[in-house]
Amino acid sequence: MAVFELRSPLTAEERQHKRKLILRDMLALLGLFAITAALAVATYFLFNSFSRRRQALAERWFERGESAISNGNPEQAVDAFRSALEYDPGQRETEIKLAMALSAAGRSEEAISYFNTLLESEPGNGLINLELARLAVKQRNESRAVEYYRRALDGTWQGDGYERRRMVRLELARYLIGQKDYSKARTQLLVAAGNAPDDPKIKLDIAGLMEQAEDPGNALEIYRNIAERKPCPVEALEGAGRVAFALGRFKLAREYLERVVSRPDFMSQPESVQSSNHELLAATVQVLDLFPGVELPARERAMRVLHAAEVAKGRLQACSLSRPTPPPSLADLATKWQQIPAKLSPLALERDPQMEQMIMNLVFDTEKQTATACGSPGGEDKLLLKIAQSPVGVEMQ
Amino acid sequence: MKADSFVESSEQIDPVPGFELQKIAPTREERLFLVLSIFIGVLSGLLVVSFRVAIEWIRILTLGSAPHPGQYRLLLAPALAGLGVALLVRWLFPGAVGSGVNQTKAALYIYNGYISFRTVIGKFVTSAIAIGSGHSLGPEDPSLQIGAGVASMVARRLRLSRQSLRLFAPIGAAAGLAAAFNAPISAILFVIEEVIGRWSAAVLGSVVLSAISSVVVARWFWGFEPIFRIPQVTLRDPRELTAYAVLGVAGGVVALIFSKALGYLRPRLRSLARWTHFFQPGLAGLMVGAIGFFGFPQVMGPGYGVIDQAMHGQFAWKLLIALALLKLLATTLSFSSGTPGGMFAPTLFIGAMLGAAVGSFEKHYFPHLTGTVGAYALTGMGVLFAGFLRAPLTSVFMVMEVSGNYSIVLPVILANTIAYLLSRSLQPVPIFEIFTHQDGLDLPSMEEQREESVLHIEDALRSLDVPVVSGREPIEALSATISFDDTPAFLVQLWDGSWYAMSKDELTAAAATMTGSTPIERALKPDRAPLLFPDLPLDTALRYFSRWPLLPVLNRANKNKLEGVITLEDVLRRYQNS
Repeated sequence: MAVFELRSPLTAEERQHKRKLILRDMLALLGLFAITAALAVATYFLFNSFSRRRQALAERWFERGESAISNGNPEQAVDAFRSALEYDPGQRETEIKLAMALSAAGRSEEAISYFNTLLESEPGNGLINLELARLAVKQRNESRAVEYYRRALDGTWQGDGYERRRMVRLELARYLIGQKDYSKARTQLLVAAGNAPDDPKIKLDIAGLMEQAEDPGNALEIYRNIAERKPCPVEALEGAGRVAFALGRFKLAREYLERVVSRPDFMSQPESVQSSNHELLAATVQVLDLFPGVELPARERAMRVLHAAEVAKGRLQACSLSRPTPPPSLADLATKWQQIPAKLSPLALERDPQMEQMIMNLVFDTEKQTATACGSPGGEDKLLLKIAQSPVGVEMQ
Repeated sequence: MKADSFVESSEQIDPVPGFELQKIAPTREERLFLVLSIFIGVLSGLLVVSFRVAIEWIRILTLGSAPHPGQYRLLLAPALAGLGVALLVRWLFPGAVGSGVNQTKAALYIYNGYISFRTVIGKFVTSAIAIGSGHSLGPEDPSLQIGAGVASMVARRLRLSRQSLRLFAPIGAAAGLAAAFNAPISAILFVIEEVIGRWSAAVLGSVVLSAISSVVVARWFWGFEPIFRIPQVTLRDPRELTAYAVLGVAGGVVALIFSKALGYLRPRLRSLARWTHFFQPGLAGLMVGAIGFFGFPQVMGPGYGVIDQAMHGQFAWKLLIALALLKLLATTLSFSSGTPGGMFAPTLFIGAMLGAAVGSFEKHYFPHLTGTVGAYALTGMGVLFAGFLRAPLTSVFMVMEVSGNYSIVLPVILANTIAYLLSRSLQPVPIFEIFTHQDGLDLPSMEEQREESVLHIEDALRSLDVPVVSGREPIEALSATISFDDTPAFLVQLWDGSWYAMSKDELTAAAATMTGSTPIERALKPDRAPLLFPDLPLDTALRYFSRWPLLPVLNRANKNKLEGVITLEDVLRRYQNS
């Protein structure tokens, strides 16, 4: 067996050569080790200088990208951010800026592709979802835009996430308003209003959007809240006056609009704003001058009722004559007017509040029906029609 | 490589003149082998790191830190570098031409593992200049040759035997490639698949050791991140496999175009007048530079950064397809002109662009599918690796190793297999073999070797047509039986289950010297017929025919059961008919 085999003994000369061989192998290995060590040191210095250079280049290109963006040159920014990423790959901030630069440069397809890839590693990133929503808006893809906006709202945000989410919500509301999807927009605005901090500027913004989303009621609430502050911004008073007018709450509108025009800073507002407020106030005053309010003296109220009846009858007559075959609704109205005593004195009317009410109802019906049959009226008929929309609200505070 | 290199190598291998090394230090080489494998790994790792850094420095110096269209340096740098490299390669470093894979194979199969120090230096310098200045080539194949060269130098310095010297080339090659890829498994597999050709226990341990050592060194510098930053890779919807199959088909077709383009242009440029060889790299550089100058600087250089960008969805699918096609053109020009540099990085580039294009197209037109662009780009890399370089096993492991994600394995296997099979059916000769033939060499084809059908004993097996007798039978009775039979030999089964194939002459001799009642087992020589089974390679049987007239083939489950017999004539007939 091999275990019991004895090796043939080496001669003295062979032993000497064996020692030489071992020595030479050791020296060769030592030499190899020295070469390896020297190469390691050289590589270390080479690599370190290279790494520092890469880092410097990454920073330089990032700064160039940022300045290109601020100078409105997104194409240059794309190249700069790409270069920055080449020298320092995986920098999230640079990646997002690159994608935004692609989007700003109008390279939507590339931007979407890049944002989608960034999203894969961070599906809950609010900023990426927001940018994708904006790109979907550009591409007129409403369902995807809304979906990405919602994901952005539910996503995570760096820094003040609370504020960023509100901005996204307002952006979504604006988009929905643009799409005339007022009901969804109102929902978003109500949430935004509920979560908004006590900042008049933000609240004014929300109220303005509510007006656009055809929610004047909630807008008025917000304007009034802001208007109660001291000092209150003139925009809040303007908004409150404007919305109150739109809601038919003319007394309230006059109150706010008078406050607006009496404000010293009103004169610093743009000319167009000033004139629109003046016109609105004038129209409000005219409405209130026509309206037979319950707080008026009985005689004054009776006079206004009689005046309104004259105006309405004139409108009915003019409308009926303008149509070759008047619609039956106008004939009905004419019949009803015939049932009203032709010569009613203010005194008689003062004593018959029911008659007053009946006449005013007939006035409102006449204005509404003639507006339907003959189009929008002008002059006092227009003001009476406005009152007819919500007679209860005219003097409501 | 020059033929005189071999002479030089032969002279060096004589560690102790006049003495038999096997006698004075029988385990020397065995012990040195593992220690040197580590040294080779570390040295290769350091050299490859320096090589990559050199390429990056040269790139920044020649093309600037952010090359973009319209810069004249994009035209000038690769053209001038091409001229410079051509001079270096023709006058100083003739061994540095080409990619590096075939040179390493040539060193292994023709030059006994000899790669000169000059070739290593030349490969390092010329490849770094060419790749750094924008030629569309990669650093992996040169790294492989640098590693093999380091191994060859180290083995020569230790004056190891010629056999050891030959074994060290693939060890160094694996180390170089592993450091370049930062992926040891892929490197080991590639060397086994493409350089050695088959699993060899003699070198496997050393190959693994050197590859791991080099990767440790590379990671010490580059960090533990894979070479590419891989985005999230998932496969949630099995229907997506259809898209991966499409990618496989596309990869197979592109691999074919790539192979055909190189197979067409390279020999034509080589056959031009010798003086033109000095200008070909420069002209190729000018043309590659023109591609960059007029809008696509991404195709210049190895393009790792661009692969990373594509993987992270920075490009639209139309641009990705344009980049894939232009890279194919640029690489064909650079490589065919004889500029030193490798094919790996361009292959990965084209594959990644192709994959990302398929992924982006899917994302754009089928947004409900969940596949990521990164996953497609990654699979695309594997697809072209399998289809173009024809290393199917490496391609699968490479994708898994560089992604660090096992969940991509199913689409990768599917797409790579399709690309590999398609490419093989359309282009039967692999690209490395085409290059070998163009270079006038005749190196073994690894693909053919892999698919060689090995003959087994069952292929030459004959049904049992000789007498089978028990060892207890008396000689007299046996002689009477056998004399009527015309077979030259018969089988004897012994009491312990062993077998003996006895010739008639042996029986006659036994009958003449022993009494008739003696059991035949007493007349047998002490040795026994070898244990052969039907599944053993046919050449296993050859060595026994000098002793035995025929051989019994046994059942593995029951050694008392005979499956048949074989004779030398059976074996030779089978080989002649194969």
